[in-house]
Amino acid sequence: MKQPWAWVGWLIAILVILTITRNPLYLVLILMSVLFVGLSLRKTGSGIPRPISLWKLAGWIIVLATGFNALTSHYGATVLFIIPGKLPLISGRVTLEAMIYGATNGLVLTGMLASFTVLNLALPVRDLISLIPRAFFPMAVVTSISVTYLPTTLRQFQQIREAQAVRGHQMRSLRDWLPLLMPLLVGGLEHAMQLAEAMTARGFASTRPISNRGQVYPRSGMLLGLVLLALGWIAQLGGVGVSGLVMILLGAGLILGGLWYLGRQSPRTIYHRRAWRWQDWLALAAAAIVLCVCTLPLPGLNQQTLYYEPYPVLSLPAFSPWLGLAMLGLLIPGLMELYKNKNEAMKFEGKKEED
Amino acid sequence: MKSRLFSLAIYISASLSGMLVLLYPFFLPAVPQQAGFGSLRLQQMPMMMTLLLGLCLLVLIFEAQGPMVNTKLIALLGILVAINSALRFIETAIPGPGGFTPIFFLIILVGYIFGGRVGFLMGALTLLVSALVTGGVGPWLPAQMFTAGWVGMSTPLLHPMVRAFTGRQNKQRSRNVNTEILFLAVFGLLWGFLYGAIMNLWQWPFIIGPQNQSYTTGLSLLATLQRYLAYYLVTSMVWDAIAAIGNVLLILTFGAPALRALRRFHQRFEFEYSPDPGAVGKPHGGGLSG
Repeated sequence: MKQPWAWVGWLIAILVILTITRNPLYLVLILMSVLFVGLSLRKTGSGIPRPISLWKLAGWIIVLATGFNALTSHYGATVLFIIPGKLPLISGRVTLEAMIYGATNGLVLTGMLASFTVLNLALPVRDLISLIPRAFFPMAVVTSISVTYLPTTLRQFQQIREAQAVRGHQMRSLRDWLPLLMPLLVGGLEHAMQLAEAMTARGFASTRPISNRGQVYPRSGMLLGLVLLALGWIAQLGGVGVSGLVMILLGAGLILGGLWYLGRQSPRTIYHRRAWRWQDWLALAAAAIVLCVCTLPLPGLNQQTLYYEPYPVLSLPAFSPWLGLAMLGLLIPGLMELYKNKNEAMKFEGKKEED
Repeated sequence: MKSRLFSLAIYISASLSGMLVLLYPFFLPAVPQQAGFGSLRLQQMPMMMTLLLGLCLLVLIFEAQGPMVNTKLIALLGILVAINSALRFIETAIPGPGGFTPIFFLIILVGYIFGGRVGFLMGALTLLVSALVTGGVGPWLPAQMFTAGWVGMSTPLLHPMVRAFTGRQNKQRSRNVNTEILFLAVFGLLWGFLYGAIMNLWQWPFIIGPQNQSYTTGLSLLATLQRYLAYYLVTSMVWDAIAAIGNVLLILTFGAPALRALRRFHQRFEFEYSPDPGAVGKPHGGGLSG
């Protein structure tokens, strides 16, 4: 699965469910699905792997969140033990409910981290940059320059360090970093000058600029959109639910519409367009189904099982098999990856036999 | 002039809307608990906040990049963001103590020399690029980009203060640089704490903790502030103090030479060639401005 937008759909579905549910059963199911997809991409993913192991990270987050909440939140009926004394924040009852609540928060945080890690693993940085909307093309260029120049900067830093070490430079205090950082900064600025000249020479930004008149209406729409967002947010917080949500949606529509319109005025050439294959459509459809099942009031689905609270007395979380089954749709990118690997292995075996 | 006023209105609206999203626990003190979150459930709030902040951020970035079809500025920002992201990359590999991070040093200095617009983009894009290359993209990213952008955007506010102070002082250049560095260091100290305090707001209303530190709807502004302060003192003060002291040390140690280098390049980057309409057809018919 190579289509960035299909991956974005998958990610959105996971993030929305993770923010809605606090039911540990669903959370574990989602986390397992994400980890399965991550593991299936371990060998074939073209993105950047996280420097720390995901399993270790998940373990740390869950343990820390459980411990922190157990020590700082003293609510709940099932008292495990009491920390004596008058230690601020910590002294008091340590309850099972607080531990479960902390672990649940840890699961949510791990799920979010893991899903973004999988996205980083699945997509190369150039595909992530290609997701930047057309209206932001100068920022997309800045981001590409930064991402491209970053390894050079790190290499340059290493070279400066070695050159200074040859001259007998030693790192004893903060001030000793000056001979390393200043050449890096000045060298970078010189490089920026050369790069700007090269870009001008190649005709960058030589197209006709967008007229101010062409920008007035969409920008006015965006300004109105911001006002509607703020008003909608206040209405939403104040309990005027529906009209608040309508205002927020209208504001978001005006902002996104304005950006889309302005983006259309900037020509963009795509040298290598990622094609939509049936695997991408399947993953996107599965993500859409999961989202609909969890958020829309569909008959026959017990969506109340998504909401779970361990306070004040711990109870077993309820589980709806239909919701659980729908959530398994999040496994599809991983299954597609396994299918692709198997196909490639079979082709390779076939070729070997022919030879 | 009209265009600048319009642009200012968009900057102010986007920043205010972003602040409304983050600071809502303080300005809604009298909302009854049951109706407090409208049709939203408590669990849906972080996602809604991320979406709204993301939209405000999009508008701010669009407005800041507006007239930036300038190769020099694009190249400059690209390289400076790369240098800053490299510093964050090194910091991720060799973690410093507590909340120490070297990224705000360049954001503050670039905002001070190149103006609030470039400062905002520098802050927001540093966080974006470093998140892309370290695999740190997450729902917290819009809030981080927004706040780091504010750091860079607010730096030019120091100019009148520095001018007012150095105006009464000896006109010696070295003295002026020292004053600037001192102002920038104090600014770095303040933002060290503020950045942590603003980022905490993203999660504080949803954390269940001791009663005197956790958020409850229906409290007065003062009581909410007291609770937040107690939470901040217990959970974040030491972490942010290390970040703030780190900012101060970096600015005091490297600020003066870095400012000199950035000023030199600012003059070079401002150099522009524009054809002189009156001199078309004549030899040497161009104008230089810098």
